Amino acid sequence: MSTHPHPNRNLNPFTRIPKPLRGWVLPAAIVFVWWLAVRLGWSTSPLLVPVETVLATGWQQIASGKVFSELGASLQRDLIGFAIGASAGLVAGAVLGLSRLAEKLIGPSFHTLKQISLFAWIPLLSVWFGLGDAAKVAFLSLAAFFPVVLNTVEGIRSVPAELIEVARVLRFTRWQLLTRVVLPGAAPSIFAGIHLALIYAWLATLGAEYLLVSGKGIGNLLIDGREHFQMDLVLLGVVVVGAVGFALNWIATRIERRALAWRGRSVASY
Amino acid sequence: MAHAATLAIQHLHKQYTVRGETLPVLEDITLTVQPGEFVSIVGSSGCGKSTLLRLIVGLEADYRGELLLDGQRIVGTSLDRGIVFQEHRLFPWLTVEQNVALGLLNAELSEADKRQAVREHIELVGLQGFETAHPHQLSGGMSQRVAIARALVNRPEVLLLDEPFGALDALTRAHLQQELHRIWKAEGITMILVTHDVEEAVYLGEKVVVMEPRPGRIRRIVPVDLPYPRERGGASFGRIKDDVLSEFGGEARAAAVLAPAAPPAPSGHADSPYALPAGARFSF
Amino acid sequence: MSTQALLAEPGSRELDAAPAPAARSTPPVRHTGWRPGPRLTNWLLAWPLPLALLAIWWLAADQGWVAAQVLPPPETVWGALRDSIANGELWPNLQISLLRVLAGFAAGLAGGLLLGVAMGLSPTFKDYVYPLFKAFSQVPVLGWLPLLMLLVGIDEALKVILIAKAALVPVTINTYQGIAGVPSRYIEVARALKFTRWQMLSKVVFPAAIAPIWNGVRYGLTHAWLALVVVELLASSEGLGFLIVYGRQLFQLDVVMAAVVVVGLFGWLLDKGLALIETRLLRWRKEAF
Repeated sequence: MSTHPHPNRNLNPFTRIPKPLRGWVLPAAIVFVWWLAVRLGWSTSPLLVPVETVLATGWQQIASGKVFSELGASLQRDLIGFAIGASAGLVAGAVLGLSRLAEKLIGPSFHTLKQISLFAWIPLLSVWFGLGDAAKVAFLSLAAFFPVVLNTVEGIRSVPAELIEVARVLRFTRWQLLTRVVLPGAAPSIFAGIHLALIYAWLATLGAEYLLVSGKGIGNLLIDGREHFQMDLVLLGVVVVGAVGFALNWIATRIERRALAWRGRSVASY
Repeated sequence: MAHAATLAIQHLHKQYTVRGETLPVLEDITLTVQPGEFVSIVGSSGCGKSTLLRLIVGLEADYRGELLLDGQRIVGTSLDRGIVFQEHRLFPWLTVEQNVALGLLNAELSEADKRQAVREHIELVGLQGFETAHPHQLSGGMSQRVAIARALVNRPEVLLLDEPFGALDALTRAHLQQELHRIWKAEGITMILVTHDVEEAVYLGEKVVVMEPRPGRIRRIVPVDLPYPRERGGASFGRIKDDVLSEFGGEARAAAVLAPAAPPAPSGHADSPYALPAGARFSF
Repeated sequence: MSTQALLAEPGSRELDAAPAPAARSTPPVRHTGWRPGPRLTNWLLAWPLPLALLAIWWLAADQGWVAAQVLPPPETVWGALRDSIANGELWPNLQISLLRVLAGFAAGLAGGLLLGVAMGLSPTFKDYVYPLFKAFSQVPVLGWLPLLMLLVGIDEALKVILIAKAALVPVTINTYQGIAGVPSRYIEVARALKFTRWQMLSKVVFPAAIAPIWNGVRYGLTHAWLALVVVELLASSEGLGFLIVYGRQLFQLDVVMAAVVVVGLFGWLLDKGLALIETRLLRWRKEAF
């Protein structure tokens, strides 16, 4: 047994690549294999489009403005539905969270409806609202509604009783208690709910466009691509959808962080 | 100087009903606190001292007996009675300034007067310069000082403190005890301190109320006739402290855990009335 | 509950249940006679709303306020439910859906656990894999659907893969966070006690991580069920989702609603099953910490 201390870690090839670059290795490898496959003709399927074609199509679609107009339509519906669902959710969540009676009367029914897989609502909604934008927006509102209600109720319930006692000692009125203690105390949870609602609404937007095929939307890119066996369009669609999802998530996180800056690094204590 | 009030507790009884059974918590508590007095209450867990405080501040109700502030029966909470809890209970989303200002939210003062009072009390607790800090940026001791400022800013007639320094380290505790004494002298309001730290009780109080548990009763009231500021290491301080501690000696003897015979008490002869009975050990 | 209690009666304590602070000097009067306990009351209170809605629904259909095609009467929905059970329409579709979701979920679970554990235990591995994983998870199941349709067609493989993907993401994330998030204080105790690598993993890391991992498993099943419904709505010729689309196309809303009810019911049952396992097997381990 050598008296050498632990073997030199640099012998491990994986640790030699500096940290910031490591995340790029796998994607680069995939693109490389893809390029190689096209070059060497591993497959004759028309689905194996060369990398360059995908990039060219992407550029063309963006330049012609088609991507933006379709995306714009999707986002518009998304944000309207989200706004409706989230506001309704805040009100409903506040009622359920503050009133024990309301929670007992409405809670069980709400939790039962919540169990129904979101997309199962679409066919019903399509009968009641038609196949156009109205049904889509209704569906998006529903998607945003549930997480906001749940998180708002949770937030209100978890306001520490200790802080409420302070409010009692300082003779807060009911309104002051609500606006100065309960609401700020529930804010972290409420923001989390709104963040979730934003994500679910975007998921629902895409689903609505598939199932209620009418009008403009980024889903069309994917549907058209699939129907015409155009892999480049489909890949472009995938990238755009992923990018928008990422952007929405990022925006929501930033807003959350600013609004809850008072928390410091760890969870607030009282 | 704030107006100080007389607090009269007469034959106070309190019980809880849990699952059909009644649990007596306080039994026949009678105590009078003079205006501007500093009273310490000591006792081990379960002696109801926190409940007593909560009854006085109005967070609990439903008792038998009389609770009077300046002759008026105590009903619910009031800005006349302030309290500092063991946890600082600051609102994490507000700055130090805003937290202290909460105490004046429902006070009938002009905005300018309120701002002035907030400023004065932040100075009083020695936190000038920290007005715009958030609680998560403060240490435990600093947070507790903000809590004290918040409780005092509306000049209550009596300030209750429920083990305010229990969650702090020994050095901060000692420092804050000095601060509290200084504030008491400056403001002159009645203060009632509940603690399980006998030294703290003797250091701060003009009299020490010793309570015993199950059910909570006043065992004895030990007057502390020493001048301020008190010397923790002094002989008379030590005597009074031992006197109070001796009240807990008998309890320890009745407890299940018996220690082997302890060496003679260091302060005085073995037959001094203030020495601990041999064979007794206690812990809080 | 504390917020509600203190908002409702500022001045009373739940324990005493006596009205507010007009300083009582006598003990509260106890009611004689039987009063319903809180659990029974809660159960009773849950019914008025759904029963009222049901009544309105029945009235609307009966009075013809809405066309039967838009809102079928409750009896026909109930009838459709019974029929589809009786004529053997529901059961095979349900079976197919359940098998699909279990197959997909199992695959996603296995993959997710492996990925999550690997990333949690090896920061190097995480450095390489996590960015790609994150990008991959940004695209929802529906985004991948057309791509996979082109690659594997529209039969079983498509559905199982999509369900697996839906389950994989939450399982991976929660597993990774569970393992990486084991409090360092426990690790330090283990190191001070000279645990071997295996002991560290089996006695410290995994027990501590099991709670978040199980959370991830539950989320995974929820998302798997969600993906199942979507995929069956879009690209299937059998299964619960198919029933919904089929009923919709024939304007047989009763079939649609019956199928929706079954979807909700089984989604709930699956989640409840996992929750039960959590309580039985895992709570005692959680409390040990």
